[in-house]
Amino acid sequence: MKKPTYACLLISLLSLPPQAMAFDLGGALKDAVEKNASDLIGNKNPDEASTKQAKAENNPLADINWKSPTQAEEIKLGREITGNLLGASPLVKNAALQQYVNRVGRWVASQSERPDLPWHFGVIESEDINAFAAPGGYVLLTSGLYKRLQNEAQLAGVLGHEIAHVVQKHQLKVLQKQQLLSLGAGLLSGKVAKGNQAIEKVIGSGAEISARSLDKSAEYEADRMGLILAARAGYDPYGLPEVLSGLEDISPSDGSIALLFKTHPAPEERLTALGAATANSSNLPGGKTLENRLLRLP
Amino acid sequence: MRYSLTAMLAAALLASTLAQADSGTALKNDTLRKEPYNDAKTSGKLVRGDKVDILGKQGAWLNIKTKSASGWVRLLSVKRATGTGNQATGVLSVASGRAGTGQVVATTGVRGLTEDELKQAQFSEPEIQLMESYSVSAADSTKFAKAGGLKAIKLGYLPKPVATQGDNP
Repeated sequence: MKKPTYACLLISLLSLPPQAMAFDLGGALKDAVEKNASDLIGNKNPDEASTKQAKAENNPLADINWKSPTQAEEIKLGREITGNLLGASPLVKNAALQQYVNRVGRWVASQSERPDLPWHFGVIESEDINAFAAPGGYVLLTSGLYKRLQNEAQLAGVLGHEIAHVVQKHQLKVLQKQQLLSLGAGLLSGKVAKGNQAIEKVIGSGAEISARSLDKSAEYEADRMGLILAARAGYDPYGLPEVLSGLEDISPSDGSIALLFKTHPAPEERLTALGAATANSSNLPGGKTLENRLLRLP
Repeated sequence: MRYSLTAMLAAALLASTLAQADSGTALKNDTLRKEPYNDAKTSGKLVRGDKVDILGKQGAWLNIKTKSASGWVRLLSVKRATGTGNQATGVLSVASGRAGTGQVVATTGVRGLTEDELKQAQFSEPEIQLMESYSVSAADSTKFAKAGGLKAIKLGYLPKPVATQGDNP
């Protein structure tokens, strides 16, 4: 019974052009941003005063300056997105595990260019194989991915990749771009949404923003940086390549990895890109793998 | 109908496996080792540009064969032949297990998270507070690193490789 499903899934994966695979949250965001547009440009409408008030009460993101958000705004945004993700998949209720991941993550993040962010790490209850980063220093990985790890250096590499997304503000930039583009579109069409349901939609779709496709180049950059961040922290730099290498052995039609494959280049391509990136530099430093310290889940 | 589809697909996968032997090119000079460990005995040399056959994989190591030697190297030292860089080829090669050199690909039967689920998700204040409660200070993490014998080193990021980025469709 399983085989036909397997075949169909695989075929649908193969037949979709990459563009179609990229998830578009434009619809939900657009409405909300069109609402925001009127506020940003001071476009007075009769409802404005009351709307603003309602927004400020209900919505911590209502007043974000999308053109150049402050660090505090970035963190607020990341908190909302992460809170939504946790609403879909709660934390594994294992304090020792969560603390362990925070210690490793915080140490790796300390080697980055944003060591002073209030970094938060967590493992969520999901057999999916994936990891997520949200603006401001929120990083989650699934228990499905965690269980595949064989040593602490691999954990450091995976967290390093996500930390790099935060350091480079990859997700934040996508959000900003989308907001500002839609703002322009809203102005052109002259449509301005009313009420504060619109802005709630932005937050409602927040959880999947963190799983959304970034540019391929952003993923390759996060791989290159993640590998170095782990090495800077004293770990074996091959942790991340090892994890990627392990992902090659999972069928892309497998449900556990569908979302990851949808939003990232294939592991083989990522490894080739990392190989090319390291080809001209001197040998990578050695480092510790610490397989004995990895906290293993039952 | 469905079964014939499966059969066709299986045939296609088989064909691709046969047509594309596991091969690659050395990206840099490296040492071949008898076993997949940094301190294993050397078994030869890999020279940048060498054509290699890939015999196996273990962790971040590849077991390879060049014209004159064989042994294990770090997998980043070899660019594996992936066809044209088009995404379908990559997916197919993974599905065929070629990258894993004959290892059967795993199927876990997990349905997985979907964008829809994430879209429907409701903000959870208790969960985010719980997550924040586990955060550790930089000082704590430094102590933890020391306990594991980890030493921070200075190291620049890797530059963006021009050739690889250029072949995106």
